[in-house]
Amino acid sequence: MAEYQLPYQDKRGFTNCLLSAIGGDGANMAAKLLFKLAAKYLNLDGAYDAKYGSEKKGTPTDVSLKLCNYGNPVRESGPNNRPHILCIFRENLIRPLGLNHGLEENATVIVNTCKTPAEIRDILQLHSGTIYCLDAAAISITSGSRLNMPMMAMLSHVLKFPEDHVIHAIEDTWPRAKEPNILAYKQAVSSAVSETFAADGKYQLEDPLDIKSPLGYTNMLDGGAIDALTHSTIKKSNAGARSNPAPKFDREICIDCTKCLAVCADPGAIVWKDAKMAGIDLNYCKACLRCVAVCPTTKKGKALTEGDLACEE
Amino acid sequence: MRRIKSNQVMYLGNGNDAAAQAVLHIGYDGEGYYPITPSSEVGEIISKAVADGKSDISFVVGTSELAAIGICTGMAVAGGRVLDVTSAQGLLLKAEEMPAISGMGLPMVLNLSCREISAPLNIKNGHSDLAAALGYGWLIFMAPNVQAVYDMNIIAIKVAEAVGLPAIVAYDGFHTSHANRRILIFENAADVAAFVGEKPAMRNVLDTKNPTTFGPYMNDDVINTKVNMEQKMAKAYEIIPQIFADFEAATDRKYDFVEVYGDKNADSGMLALNSAAEAAKIVVDEMIAGGTPVKLIEPIVLRPWPAKEMVEAVGSMKRLVVAERVSQYGAGNYLENEVAAALQKAGNCKCEIISRVYGIGGLNFRPDEDAKPMFDLAVNWPNVAPELKTLEGRYWGAWPGKADYNPAPSIAPLTIEETTLNKDIEKVDIKAVRELSKMPSRIDKQSACPGCGIFANLNLFMRGIDGQVVLMFNTGCGMVVTTGYPLTSFKVPYVHNLFHNTSSTATGIVEMYHRFRKQGKIPDEEITFICVSGDGGDDIGMDQLIGAALRNDPIIYLEYDNKGYMNTGGQLCYTGILGQRNSNSHVGPGQTGKQTQSKDIIEIMRGTNIPYIFTAAESNPNDMITKARKAQATVRNNGFAFGKLFSACPLNWGSAPEKGNEVIDKIVKSCIHPLYEIEKGITTLNYDPSKTNAKIPVTDALTAMGSMFAHISNPKNIAIAEAIQTEVDRRFDRIKALSENPSL
Repeated sequence: MAEYQLPYQDKRGFTNCLLSAIGGDGANMAAKLLFKLAAKYLNLDGAYDAKYGSEKKGTPTDVSLKLCNYGNPVRESGPNNRPHILCIFRENLIRPLGLNHGLEENATVIVNTCKTPAEIRDILQLHSGTIYCLDAAAISITSGSRLNMPMMAMLSHVLKFPEDHVIHAIEDTWPRAKEPNILAYKQAVSSAVSETFAADGKYQLEDPLDIKSPLGYTNMLDGGAIDALTHSTIKKSNAGARSNPAPKFDREICIDCTKCLAVCADPGAIVWKDAKMAGIDLNYCKACLRCVAVCPTTKKGKALTEGDLACEE
Repeated sequence: MRRIKSNQVMYLGNGNDAAAQAVLHIGYDGEGYYPITPSSEVGEIISKAVADGKSDISFVVGTSELAAIGICTGMAVAGGRVLDVTSAQGLLLKAEEMPAISGMGLPMVLNLSCREISAPLNIKNGHSDLAAALGYGWLIFMAPNVQAVYDMNIIAIKVAEAVGLPAIVAYDGFHTSHANRRILIFENAADVAAFVGEKPAMRNVLDTKNPTTFGPYMNDDVINTKVNMEQKMAKAYEIIPQIFADFEAATDRKYDFVEVYGDKNADSGMLALNSAAEAAKIVVDEMIAGGTPVKLIEPIVLRPWPAKEMVEAVGSMKRLVVAERVSQYGAGNYLENEVAAALQKAGNCKCEIISRVYGIGGLNFRPDEDAKPMFDLAVNWPNVAPELKTLEGRYWGAWPGKADYNPAPSIAPLTIEETTLNKDIEKVDIKAVRELSKMPSRIDKQSACPGCGIFANLNLFMRGIDGQVVLMFNTGCGMVVTTGYPLTSFKVPYVHNLFHNTSSTATGIVEMYHRFRKQGKIPDEEITFICVSGDGGDDIGMDQLIGAALRNDPIIYLEYDNKGYMNTGGQLCYTGILGQRNSNSHVGPGQTGKQTQSKDIIEIMRGTNIPYIFTAAESNPNDMITKARKAQATVRNNGFAFGKLFSACPLNWGSAPEKGNEVIDKIVKSCIHPLYEIEKGITTLNYDPSKTNAKIPVTDALTAMGSMFAHISNPKNIAIAEAIQTEVDRRFDRIKALSENPSL
C-alpha cells in the first residue's frame, strides 16, 4: 500500500475537519470512527473535540477532527475555527451559523442536500474549493442506516482513507448493523455530485466568526441578568431543530377538540384564535409530531397530518 | 517514529475515559458518585465495567455531591481505597468534607474536571473550583493533557497512600475531559496495581479488636493536627521526585514538580496551567525558531507547593506573565501571589510579574490568537499598549460591548387582564379549555429536544393559573434550554439559583413580596410564585424542599419527573424505576440497571402536612388544569402546594418524540404514576383505571417508554418486572384505601 498522504496540511501539519450538525445526527460518532480508523489503520495521530456544553437534540452542534502524522505533538484543544474540510449535515445550518467563516481556500465541503454544488456555493458563499452534494437523508432511509453514515462515508472518501479500511472499521464498530452501514457508504460515494470552484473573486475568504455579543462589561445588566422585554427568544426560529417537515393543518376537518393544544411541546406552535384552532406557527414548531399523534380521526380524516417529505420545506 | 515501551499500548479516548481507565487499572474498593458536567462520564464508564462484570468496585450513587463524598469518607474510614469525581459547584458542595478528609488523614483521589463556578451558570472550563481547593490540605496534581490524566491518577494514589493525605487530580473541563486523543496506557492492569502497591494498613472502623474513635471533638489540640498535615505535605514533597522517577522508568513518561519548556535562559515567558500551557508550547517552539527566546513554566504539582523548583524555573527571567483561568477579585491572583512570594523569599526581586486572567468560562486558548500575544506582552513589557495595563486589560478576551447597542422591546409585559381567564370558569371541560387557549404562555421559544415533555406540562399547568406569575427553576433541562445568554424564554420574572436551592430561594422571595406589599413599596397585586424542578433537583434539594413545605410558604412547587438526570446525560435519579438503564447504572451480566424501587416523593411530602399535594399528567389535561387551579387557591390561602408531573424524555428514554402523550397515558393506566391528590390530609384518587378495565401491566408501559426501560419486559428479567408490579400495586391499593377512607 502506498504511504498515506494527508490531503491538507496547515502550518503545523494538521488536516482540519469540521462537522456541523444538530444534536441527534450522530456527528460525534462519525468523527470518533474516523479518528479510530486514522490511528489504528493508518498510524496517524490527531484529535477530535466535540462542541463544549449541553447538547440537546435539535440544537446546532459541531465536532472538530484534526489529523496529523504520528510524532507530531497534538497540543491544542478546542474546535477548529479554520477548517480545510467542512461536512454539513443540515444545509439549513449554513446561513444561521455562517459556516463559510474561517473556511480555508481550496476547501472541501460535503453537504447533505438535494441542491447542486453551484447552488450550495452561493448559499455558503464559498471562496474556492470543491463541493460534494449528496442526499444523505434519502440514503440513510433507503439503506436502513443513519444520517451520519453517508456523511462519514463521504468524509472518509475526501480524506482518501482506503475503502477496505473504512469497511473494516464499520464492521468492527457495528457488527450487527454492518450491512445497512456498508450499503450507505457505497451509495454515498457513488451518488455524490461534485464541482470545483476556482478563486474567481465571486466570494471573499472570511475570518472566523467573532464570538463577542454586543453586550459586554460596560453595558450588560449587573450580574449578567437579562431584560426580558428586549432580549426575548420570541424572534428566534425553531425551524432548524426540525428533522421532519412541520405538520399540515386542515381547518375544514378540525373539531377544536383541544388535544393538540394540551400536548404541544413547543407552546406557541399550536395557534388558537378566538377559542378555535388556527394552525401551526412554523417559527415555533420543531416537528415533534405530538399533535399529529393525538389529532382524532373523524369522518373527514385528521386535521393535523405529517408534512410532505420533500427535499426542502 | 516514537519508541514505545513494550508494556504500553495505544488507547483512544478523552480525559474522562483516561481517568476511568486508570481507576480500573489501579483497582479501587469503592466510589461515591454524583453526576456533574463535565466529569460525569468517569463514573459512567466505571459503572459500565461493573455491569459488564469487569470490575467489582462498590459503585454507589449519592443523592448529592456532599452525599457522594460522605460515602467516600465512610469507605475510606473503613479501610477502602476510594475515589470520587467532580467539577465546579460539585466541589463546593463537598467543601465541608474536604478538610475533614485531609484532617482525618484519609488517602483517596478526587478527579476534578475543572469548571468555572459562577452566576450566571457556566458549565465550561475555569479554575475557580481548583483555586477553592488550594487550602483544603489535599495534594494537588495537574494533568495538562489526556495522557497526563491517566498518568497522574496512578501517581496521585501512590503518593496519597504513602503520606496519608487525599489527592486531587485536576484536568481541564471540556478542553481535556472531552478532548479525544491517542495516548498510551499500560497493557496489563496488574502492572499498574504493582506500581501503586497495596494500600498501607491503617486504623479503621471495622477493626473491632482495636476500637478507634474517628473524628472526635477537639479544642486547643486541633492545631497539632495541622502540624501533622504540614509534615505530610513535606513528606510528599520529599517522595514525589522518586515516584516520578519510578513512573518514568516504567513508562518512559517524565514528570517534574514544574516543567520548564523552551529557552531556559530567556528573559521573558509565561506561566500557565494545563491545556493552555500545552497550547503555549506550540508558540514557544515557533518564537524560538523565529529568533525570540521565550520560555514556558508549567506547574504540575500545586500542593505541596514546590517553591524551590518554581524559583529555579524562573531563574534569571526579567518578565513573567502569570496567566490564570481564575481570578481573586480585589487582590493579587492565586499563582501570581504564590510565585511572587516564592521569588521574594529566595531574594529574587528582579523578575516582574504580569498577571493575566484568561479563558474563564471555557474561552479557547489558541496558539496564534492567545498564547502568542501573551508571550509578546512578556517580551515587550512595559512598552505595551496602555489599555493592556488597565484593570479591564488584565482580563484577556473580555469585551466592553457596543456603546450604541440599544435594542427595542420585542415583547410587552403580560397584564393581569389578559392572564385572568379562570375566574369565571366553574369546571374544566372542553369549553373551558377552549377559552383557556387564550392564556398567554409565560414561556416563549426554548431549545429543548423536539417532543420534550417539560414545556407541554408547564404550559398546560399554567393555563390554570391566573394573573402575574414569578417562576423559579432549579438547574436542569428546563433551565438550560430557556436562558442561553443574551436571550431569555421567560416573559415573566424568573430566578435560577443553582441545582437544589429553588425552594429556599422562593421562601426568601415570598417573604419580601409580603413585606413590601404590606409596606406599600410594590403594587398591591397578587403574584403567584411557582418553583420548577426536575426529579434530580428533588434528590439533591430534598432537604430544602421539605424545609419550605414545613414552613408552609405560599409557593406552588412543581416537579417534572422524567426519571433521571437528563440534563447531564441520563444518570440515575432515585425516582427511577427498578431495573432502569441509566448511564451510571447499566444493564449487563454484573448488574441490571437501577437496584431500588422508585422514590415516592408524594408520600414523603405527605409527612410535611402541606395543604395540597397532587400528581398530574398530560394524558389527563383537564385534571391537570383543575389541579393548577386548586394549587393557586392553596397559595391564595397562604399554603404550600406540591405537584409531580410525569414528563416524557424522548432523548434519554429512547422513545419516539411523537409518542409522548400515548406513553404518558400508558404510565398512568399502569398505575406507575397514579393520578391523586391530598387536600389537607384527605386523599382522593382522581382516576382509577381498574374501574373501566383500562389498567395495564407495568411491562406494557415500560416497553412503550423506550430502551431505557424496555429490557425490563424481557422474560429473563421477569423477577424485576414482578417486583415492580407488586410494588406499584401495593402503592396503588394503599392510595385507593386512603381515598375510600378519609380518616386514614
